[in-house]
Amino acid sequence: MSRGDAAADVASDTESWNVVEAVRETLGQEMRRDDSVRLLGYDMGPIGGVYRATEGLYEEFGADRVIDTPLSEGGILGTAVGMAVRGERVVPEIQFMGFFYPAFGQFMYSLVKLHERSGGGLELPMTVRVPYGGGIKSSEYHSESTETYFAHTPGVRVVCPSTPAQTKGLLAASIRHPDPVMFLEPKKIYRGEREAVPTDEYVLPIDEARVVREGEDVTVLTWGAMLRHAETAADRVDADVEIIDLVSLSPLDVETVLDSVKRTGRCVVLHEARRTLGLGAELSALVNEYALDHLHAPIKRATGFDVHFPGHQTEDAYLPDAERAEHAIKAVMSYEF
Amino acid sequence: MSYWTEVRPREDFYRVLDPDGSPIRDPPDVDEGTLRRMYWAFVRSRAFDEKALRLQRRGEISIHAASVGEEAVPIGTAAALEPGDWCFPTYRQTAAMVYWDASLAKAFAGLMGTEPETTAEHLDEEGEPAVNFSPPYVPLTVNVTNAVGSAMADRFNDRDTVTMSYVGDGSTSEGDFHEALNFAGVFEAPAVTICHNNQWAISVPTHRQTAAETFAQKAEAHGVPHDRVDGNDVLAVYEKTREAVDRARGGEGPTLLECVTYRMVDHNTADEDSVYRDETELERWAELDPVDRFEAYLRAEGVLDDEAASRVAEEAEAAVDEAVAAARAVPESDPQRMFDHHLHGESWTERHQRAELRRELAGENPFVDFDGEGFE
Ligand SMILES: Cc1ncc(C[n+]2csc(CCOP(=O)(O)OP(=O)(O)O)c2C)c(N)n1
Repeated sequence: MSRGDAAADVASDTESWNVVEAVRETLGQEMRRDDSVRLLGYDMGPIGGVYRATEGLYEEFGADRVIDTPLSEGGILGTAVGMAVRGERVVPEIQFMGFFYPAFGQFMYSLVKLHERSGGGLELPMTVRVPYGGGIKSSEYHSESTETYFAHTPGVRVVCPSTPAQTKGLLAASIRHPDPVMFLEPKKIYRGEREAVPTDEYVLPIDEARVVREGEDVTVLTWGAMLRHAETAADRVDADVEIIDLVSLSPLDVETVLDSVKRTGRCVVLHEARRTLGLGAELSALVNEYALDHLHAPIKRATGFDVHFPGHQTEDAYLPDAERAEHAIKAVMSYEF
Repeated sequence: MSYWTEVRPREDFYRVLDPDGSPIRDPPDVDEGTLRRMYWAFVRSRAFDEKALRLQRRGEISIHAASVGEEAVPIGTAAALEPGDWCFPTYRQTAAMVYWDASLAKAFAGLMGTEPETTAEHLDEEGEPAVNFSPPYVPLTVNVTNAVGSAMADRFNDRDTVTMSYVGDGSTSEGDFHEALNFAGVFEAPAVTICHNNQWAISVPTHRQTAAETFAQKAEAHGVPHDRVDGNDVLAVYEKTREAVDRARGGEGPTLLECVTYRMVDHNTADEDSVYRDETELERWAELDPVDRFEAYLRAEGVLDDEAASRVAEEAEAAVDEAVAAARAVPESDPQRMFDHHLHGESWTERHQRAELRRELAGENPFVDFDGEGFE
């Protein structure tokens, strides 16, 4: 059993949930166990969020726990920080990652800074939920994958689940954690993909990568909705592929990455974000700095391109898929230093 | 029965036409051609929305936000502009663009998800409208700040151009809205900001959006003149906008205009308004439909009769069908188009990524360049 395999560690009943249901159930569970947990965002009231990720919670917990706010990302993040400073455990929702930008000032000036600025005196236990990613054929700014902006910034954790069971354990752990967490929800896999999720409470480590599949020949580093493409590609290629779901995009679980690459000697990074200064650039640099002697081939990055997220006729050509992953794996397998 | 979602529902706005279409005061000075043009735009905009909703259901477009019920706002305001003026719209002002003859085909093609370059190339014979429209903004309220900048540029250059921008009631909660109005006030920018108070920001009612009594009064803090009008009364909207536009053109600075109206449809095709609002509300507002009101007025004035009305409707249907056909004739975007129009000049990265995509689409392995030279 690999680390961070949610269902395996918990003896409990399970229910078949998709990712968005896992989010909803976990938010409810955490709010029931801790009165200081408050949700904050617009459209959270009767409609339960535009993705229905908070459906039913407003009715259950009332308007002071599920706070339906004015339409203001800066306002949401800024007031959430203030509440967190005063001991509330706040879970703000930003409707789409592409609409995080109005909150960027608050993010940089307060969210990521106050803990350090107060010499550790102030705690900011908050989890900012941000649906992200493409493949849903929506309009402009609804498909962004700009996690690099968050990961580039000290003082905040960036966590990204890739399955329903993981979503539950990671979201619960993030909410209970004393650090601020950007919790990135890959909305491409919000629905559709279900699995048996333990109904009892459990948490998963939010700072450990998950070895999804063990292999000897090549390491694929990925996260979020791209994981399934890595798995399909691994099934198709004539190589023993190790797949690592990073889970924690910041800080990175460098040990797990380096252990794997030192063993396999080959590495592919698969992400849907733009390539330049995407996380693949950082991972590739780390491997070069600390595992160069073990490499048999250059690291390749199968990613989106350095363009604004395109119109929906073109997005399939932009987004990495199993085929792009397969090509990258084959390319690094074809090379020998 | 509640049919305003505000804290203190007030019909204290400026109105020219009663809900049944009869004037309650002297109508503004509008020539018959302009009246006909307004009606024409109403009918076309509705035909556009209906068609877009149908195309969405058939999967030809992925998402559409319609403006049914709110058209008097874009039409009345757009009619108050002059050729050469500027407009920074969001997604509920199709009718304003229709009024100024912007291409419906381009609008459909945009909804169909072609890259803008492809659309421009294949529909480029269409004339540009006489009022300048920026591409519609998807991120909220960014347009208002930009519009104020546009207006400042005119002021600094002693041009008498006016810039108009639009937001919803919800968008007045964004920081950008206040930053925009503050600049507009300080720099006496010839900027007219129009707020569609359509009672809802997706599922958030106006009383959840602000504790202020009106959205218009948000301008008070910024020293910007403001007014509140019946947004379902196209003549009232026109008259108040015209005053604001004339003041701006005359060097007297900005105005915020709140137009009280109602979104009679879902927020967009991904929304389900039955979850958060009740039917009686819609029924009440359906009685206030801006098209019916204006039509009754035009008929009473002898500007419109059955024959003219059905001619306008038929022409609208035909124009929309033609526009859809033209949009469908725009070929699917070549995926390479996604690289266009980012920067002038060339870079290694762009050349390389273009080559990668080309190879991938040809079924080749795009990752076999190991020295950075193979793809040059
Ligand atoms: C900065 C930003 N945040 C969120 C969104 C998502 N969104 C699109 S429309 C909308 C509601 C807007 O309400 P309002 O301003 O009242 O305009 P209306 O849709 O009612 O015309 C939201 C939240 C966005 N487009 N931009």
